Amino acid sequence: MQLSRDELLGAYRRMATIRAFEERLHDEIAKGEIAGFTHLYAGQEAAAVGVCDHLSDDDFIVSTHRGHGHCLAKGVDVKGMMAEIYGRATGTCKGKGGSMHIADVHKGMLGANGIVGAGAPQALGAALAAKANGRGQVGLSFSGDGACNQGTTFEAMNMAVVTKAPVIFVFENNHYSEHTGPAYATATVTDIAGRAEAFGIKAWRANGCDYFDTFETMREVLDYVRAGNGPAAVELDTERFFGHFEGDPQRYRGPGEVDRIRAERDCLQAFRQRVTEASLLDHGDLDAVDAEVLRLIDEAVDEARAAPVPTPEMVLEDVYISY
Amino acid sequence: MAALKPFAMPKWGIEMTEGTIAEWLVAEGEPFERGKVLTAIETDKITNEVEAEAPGQFARIVATPGQTYPVGALLAVLADGPATDAEIEAFLSTFKAADALGSAGRDTAPPVPPEPAPAAAPAATTIPDDVKISPAARRLAEDRGIDVGAIAGSGKGGRISLQDVDQAGRPPAAGYGGAPVSIAVEDGDIETVYASPLAKRLARQHGINLSGMPGSGPRGRICKADVLAKLPPAAAPAPAPTMSQAPAAMRPAAEIVPMDKIRRIVARRLTEAKQAIPHFYVRMEARADALVALRAQANLFLGARISINDFIVRAAALALVEEPECNVQVHGDTIHRFAYADVAVAIASDKGLVTPIVRNAEALLPQEIGERTKVLIARAAAGRLSHEDMDGGSFTVSNLGMFGVDGFDAIINPPQGAILAVGGSRRVFAEQADGSGAFESRIAFTLSCDHRAIDGAAGARYLAALKRLIEAPEALFRR
Amino acid sequence: MAQMMIREVIVDTIRSEMRRDPDVMMLGEDIVGGMGTAGGPEAIGGIWSTSTGLWEEFGSNRIIDTPISESAIIGSAAGAALAGKRPIAELMFADFVGVCMDQIWNQIAKFRYMFGGKSRCPVVIRLIYGAGFNAAPQHSQAVYSMMTSMPGVKVVMPTTPADTKGLLTQAIRDDDPVLFFEHKALYGVKGEVPDGDYTIPFGHARQVRAGEHVTIVAMGMMVGLAERAADLLAKDGIGCDVIDIRTTSPLDEEAILDSVELTGRLVVVDESPPRCSVAADICAMVARRAFAALKAPPEMVTPPHTPVPFARELESAYLPSPPKIMDAVRTVLAYR
Repeated sequence: MQLSRDELLGAYRRMATIRAFEERLHDEIAKGEIAGFTHLYAGQEAAAVGVCDHLSDDDFIVSTHRGHGHCLAKGVDVKGMMAEIYGRATGTCKGKGGSMHIADVHKGMLGANGIVGAGAPQALGAALAAKANGRGQVGLSFSGDGACNQGTTFEAMNMAVVTKAPVIFVFENNHYSEHTGPAYATATVTDIAGRAEAFGIKAWRANGCDYFDTFETMREVLDYVRAGNGPAAVELDTERFFGHFEGDPQRYRGPGEVDRIRAERDCLQAFRQRVTEASLLDHGDLDAVDAEVLRLIDEAVDEARAAPVPTPEMVLEDVYISY
Repeated sequence: MAALKPFAMPKWGIEMTEGTIAEWLVAEGEPFERGKVLTAIETDKITNEVEAEAPGQFARIVATPGQTYPVGALLAVLADGPATDAEIEAFLSTFKAADALGSAGRDTAPPVPPEPAPAAAPAATTIPDDVKISPAARRLAEDRGIDVGAIAGSGKGGRISLQDVDQAGRPPAAGYGGAPVSIAVEDGDIETVYASPLAKRLARQHGINLSGMPGSGPRGRICKADVLAKLPPAAAPAPAPTMSQAPAAMRPAAEIVPMDKIRRIVARRLTEAKQAIPHFYVRMEARADALVALRAQANLFLGARISINDFIVRAAALALVEEPECNVQVHGDTIHRFAYADVAVAIASDKGLVTPIVRNAEALLPQEIGERTKVLIARAAAGRLSHEDMDGGSFTVSNLGMFGVDGFDAIINPPQGAILAVGGSRRVFAEQADGSGAFESRIAFTLSCDHRAIDGAAGARYLAALKRLIEAPEALFRR
Repeated sequence: MAQMMIREVIVDTIRSEMRRDPDVMMLGEDIVGGMGTAGGPEAIGGIWSTSTGLWEEFGSNRIIDTPISESAIIGSAAGAALAGKRPIAELMFADFVGVCMDQIWNQIAKFRYMFGGKSRCPVVIRLIYGAGFNAAPQHSQAVYSMMTSMPGVKVVMPTTPADTKGLLTQAIRDDDPVLFFEHKALYGVKGEVPDGDYTIPFGHARQVRAGEHVTIVAMGMMVGLAERAADLLAKDGIGCDVIDIRTTSPLDEEAILDSVELTGRLVVVDESPPRCSVAADICAMVARRAFAALKAPPEMVTPPHTPVPFARELESAYLPSPPKIMDAVRTVLAYR
């Protein structure tokens, strides 16, 4: 199915926004201005956008510690996120969550999560809610090749089959669980989707560095799940351009590895090449998007820096609705 | 115009707060490619090479190899091409290193605690029903006529409790604090063992090593009984002399008296001190006429009985504050310096030589020192000096002037750094400022210093300060 | 007013709340029971009979019988709550909380705070707890003290059939996460239950006995023991003010302080081991806020710092009892 010019420009804009957001954070964090742990999503943009382009605000996703891309792809406000990461009162979470805990339930984004593997049961729960609602909503968990080794993930996959829940387990295999490779840490090494199949879940595999491959695969997946067939699983092969967290010296990387994956597996470059070769868009169109995105990120950083910090009284707020 | 970017101290992991530049591997203005190793940075965890993320050059290298910089500190200025000095300076002036720990709440002052509620005038009252107060608190407030309007309740929504009312009805508590207090742990080696405070004190007194000693308290805690069990048994009574041993001459035999506990401790400590501490001595005389006159006046006006020694203790303390190099304790390889002067006063009592402490003597007037000393002398006579009375101090004043001695040299009382020996007042015929001759009173001082911590010049300066205070003693009545 | 057992009150309350609000759903192991067996669904009806008949009325979308997967049960309750539902999750034994602690502690309790107050997670977790059945160390514990120390959840412990109705209704309608502790030994307790809509707000203690000599604070199963002790002591002329705190978080500090200000003496009875327990927490609070009123050091009656033993004789030696409470009361009265 051919995407329209607007759809293509939109997909590129969403991916470029994530890239610019993360590249800028990389620079700002190096200056020491941002506190805490930050895990950047750059390199995996096609996965988040290729998946979320099939979802509406009425569908639910749960994310991971590497969640900026999922949040942005699901429509969470760029400036609110930037302010949150800067620890400002105007942030998405008023400065109480930071990079790892951005959520916007009104966008169906039920939260990034600092605990690896915690999200899968929550996506299942959202799917059970969706099933009870009967409106064709889905729950979807993003997790990495690290979370595929957590017991919670297995519990959720089994219970999803048992309850025939409309839940999609998306495994983004970026070949690193923190600082460890799947060749060591994952018993099935190159195959995560096969684990889901072992639970009786229908599984798909796609190139998570290729927007079009991810997007077309997810169309099938969503059709299958929305039709009431129960859970599905998707393994997306993708790449992490930065370290596990910002400041990770990445001494585990091979020589020239980052240069190679940036040259060969950059989803933005692949998208650009594909749409310009097919004459769907020209370079000028894409350059204009790039410029517009950089302006937006500049504004977001400037506004975050200028935004008020939380007041000490805010420590006490939002623990309970009433107590 | 070149685009300039900061090259800042990176943050490798959440605990990293600073890093040290090991070396720069490119020179200022030297173009480099992406991936070129620019510098090596050491942290307490790793040493890591930092590669160029993009081609460029250093327009300016700011950080010096071997120096440590906080995370986010500007180490160098990156440029994509040659930059002018003006550009670099402009850039440097705009760059503000951010605090690695985040800026949130940094400038926020801690909340000011509410003023304590003043005590209210006692007059029976009735408290309106709408006041949030517990039933018992209401009764108490009504009984005692306490104005609950002035009480900030400690309960939910400012609800007033019985304790709130009770406290409001009491006079303010005696204040603590003000002058700094020493909270240093004594005898580091003893503090590493698991023992009760009393056991440690006993061990210190008797020179018993607690390390490795099994304790009989909970979880192996060494307690008093364990230390006492290690004490040598009391010396056996001397055997009665027999006739066969009686000397030929009709002289009585020497009376053999076992040292009592205090004498044993004094003997051991003085031996240790004299053997272990490299003593050196500085001497100086001071004219005492003004002091003697002032004392007579003060005792008349104040109706007090201030001794010359009380003045000398104050003078010694003020001189210690003036010459802090002499105001020290020596502990192994460390010297502990103090901002206040806890001065020990040597007291010869029936129970032996003791050196209780007059604390913060620099802040006490001579009559206050006199009162304090009298208490200590009474306690010493009764053998009731506590550990707190004896513990610490940086300096001792030992005065034998009342016995008419000219002067003497004293042994330092460790861990104190010095001791002042005070002789008697002597009348001396001496040349006066105008060249004439006249009698004057003089007191001789000998300062014994621990040379490990105090040098000769410091000792000399100390005595000069002391002399000045003794000779112009009005200063001793100044707070 | 109907006479009902606590277990009946629980089914009845869940049923009426599910009828009232279509967003209420329930998940747990064997809450339908018999799924996938020859006997068929409802062959069990929940091992505590606290969900009997619900599946037949509400179906599999709202009564979700789960595999033995505590993390998935609590985690999916969390996800469903974020997605707008009001799930009730059952932990068949409170001891299993260890299996799913992350989903309670790092997830449910922290969502609202981490998300800057922009989400709600109205989960009720029912935890069946308590000793007295020789169920041995892993099926007998009173883990509510541990959970009370956790900001972000409310901890509720009903004692009577009426309170069970009022507090469970409140828990299901409450917009914050609630840990609802049901004592196994109380399920058969019978009593009057108010008809119609009935809620009890959290943080409101109940005065069980009124006396002026000693304050006894208790919760859950311990309240009955404290009542027995108070009744026996009353015969000797000792009046005990017995307070059932009902919820350990929030805690009705005022009710406790008002009583201690009157009596000057405090005994706290708690089924969890003493260290960092609700009893220790209350003693500390009273020492801090009613120091002026105290006539004797507060006493705690708790099990020892041990696991719950199996054998009958050991378990009764472990648990608080009316004689142990009476001893504590006499101890605080004897203080000079």
